[in-house]
Amino acid sequence: MRVKLKNVFIVYFVVSLVGLLCALLQLGQPCDCSQQLQAERRRGRDRLLAEQWNGGVRGEPRAQGGGQALPTIYVVTPTYARPVQKAELVRLSQTLLHVRALHWVVVEDAAAPTALVAGLLANSGVPFTHLHVETPPESRRRPGDPPWLHPRGVEQRNRALRWLRDTRAPGESGVVYFADDDNTYSLRLFEEMRSTRGVSVWPVGLVGGLRFERPLVAGGRVVGFHTGWKPERPFPLDMAGFAVALPLLLARPEARFDPRAERGYLESSLLGALVSPAQLEPKAGNCTQVLVWHTRTEKPKLRQEEQLQREGRGSDPHIEV
Amino acid sequence: MPKRRDILAIVLIVLPWTLLITVWHQSTIAPLLAVHKDDGGDSQRDLAAGLDSKEYCLSERDIVEVVRTEYVYTRPPPWSDTLPTIHVITPTYSRPVQKAELTRLANTLLHVPNLHWILVEDSQRRTPLITRLLRDTGLNYTHLNVETPRNYKLRGDMRDPRIPRGTMQRNLALRWLRETFNKNSSQPGIVYFADDDNTYSLELFEEMRSTRKVSVWPVAFVGGLRYESPRVNAAGKVYGWKTVFDPHRPFAIDMAGFAVNLRLILHRPQAYFKLRGVKGGYQESSLLRELVTLNDLEPKAANCTKILVWHTRTEKPVLVNEGKKGFTDPNVEI
Repeated sequence: MRVKLKNVFIVYFVVSLVGLLCALLQLGQPCDCSQQLQAERRRGRDRLLAEQWNGGVRGEPRAQGGGQALPTIYVVTPTYARPVQKAELVRLSQTLLHVRALHWVVVEDAAAPTALVAGLLANSGVPFTHLHVETPPESRRRPGDPPWLHPRGVEQRNRALRWLRDTRAPGESGVVYFADDDNTYSLRLFEEMRSTRGVSVWPVGLVGGLRFERPLVAGGRVVGFHTGWKPERPFPLDMAGFAVALPLLLARPEARFDPRAERGYLESSLLGALVSPAQLEPKAGNCTQVLVWHTRTEKPKLRQEEQLQREGRGSDPHIEV
Repeated sequence: MPKRRDILAIVLIVLPWTLLITVWHQSTIAPLLAVHKDDGGDSQRDLAAGLDSKEYCLSERDIVEVVRTEYVYTRPPPWSDTLPTIHVITPTYSRPVQKAELTRLANTLLHVPNLHWILVEDSQRRTPLITRLLRDTGLNYTHLNVETPRNYKLRGDMRDPRIPRGTMQRNLALRWLRETFNKNSSQPGIVYFADDDNTYSLELFEEMRSTRKVSVWPVAFVGGLRYESPRVNAAGKVYGWKTVFDPHRPFAIDMAGFAVNLRLILHRPQAYFKLRGVKGGYQESSLLRELVTLNDLEPKAANCTKILVWHTRTEKPVLVNEGKKGFTDPNVEI
């Protein structure tokens, strides 16, 4: 048949009409097209993926979109019940939610997991594992004891180490970071620690009675520590000032925090079993930038609450604070 | 006539294609365009690239959840044309924990779509620390400053209840809003006063987005209680305040416990926080009584039964080892 212009037009119209009909059919469906819906749909996908992470990672890690998997950062947070607990965990979760390939290991100082923490973790959108272990009575702080009398969070961090050793495969890449729930973390910190091969270190703000404590670096290696408090410690660092590569922790199964360690020596009790100070990897611009701060939250004044409770008129305990 | 027929032919050719392209553009090209835009700064979109862009339907419930739990991997969320903007006004002043407080507040705000952060420094000049911090967050922000005159500032740590901190800074932000936004513009907005040491849940921002005049909700750890809250009757109206400290104040509520519709701010240009002669706890009332009556308040957070904001306070760090001359390098910013 000769290619007539009329035939070309007819074919063209038919194809266009068919395409138009398909588009119109899509218009008929409820999920249609405004710019915002598109963005929200993308967010929905991301959230669904984060939820799949939640389900998946409580068991095995999830590779990141094919290709080379990003080392997962395992953030270990010991926590205990007190009025500001929910607030602290909420704002920490808001920071962690920005960091990709992160798994939050929350360990409660409790005999059983509480609904408050369980609900918070489920709503946070962060992939998590919820553990619990109760501090034995002799190590527990009694009212009136100063905060430094017993090291806190030791059993909880050790419980997290045990979980990692029980569930992670020996060759798996990852970085373990001990993040207390009242500190402040910048997002850059997590990207700095991701490349840890052994133990990496960086400055910590507002700790040790100083504006910041930091390792001293020369020629790309740690040669000393700038601290004003007990500088004779083998590792005069704060818990928030270092991260450990997961393979190293798995290779040294006996390395853990010592609950009987003297005040300030808790970090050294773990790190001493892993590396020597010369092997530490400096991050944060050769330890010149402060990316984490040892903030502490005031205990809220609840005098009126206590008074009301004595009168039997306390606030509704079902409203979770 | 031949000319008319040609025109008709051209129209018939072009029309289906324009309709097709309009529909297709919205469904497939938009996500790809957004990906390219976001890749300019942080390229954290590897997740989305791996997913297919086939459409699927989201139910009402899903959309609500999605808006609440934001983007995991890009910051901040893309601007939406349909959501009212939340203008968050934060007064701040220089002290050791300032950068830490603003960093973690920024980490929170980075999850909220259509957010505009108005940060007002209590300083003579805008400081480089804040300038850099704001720029690095990537948030939509406005950086202002006004110095509280020395005799109005809190002296050291002593609490002088006659001089509420942050008042001049909040008033400056209100003035900026009135100078920037046209009273008759239809741009919807909500104004919220967020201090830099409180803790805010993400749900709170979505609750306040539907404010028509002034909305209220409970705040934890204020007034010596687990929480203070408005009293809401069965009809969903606020009729009083559940507080121990002076419950007969016109608005016995904390700064973090209410939000105002921008339109109301623009239509009452004389409404400011009172600077002088304000009794302790009455600062919020000094503004709100110029804007609404008790009856107009909209209770949020499930009729004021959920806690979505906590009045946390950060301890002043003990810097004993700095000594008189300073031990650490003052050029390192904390």
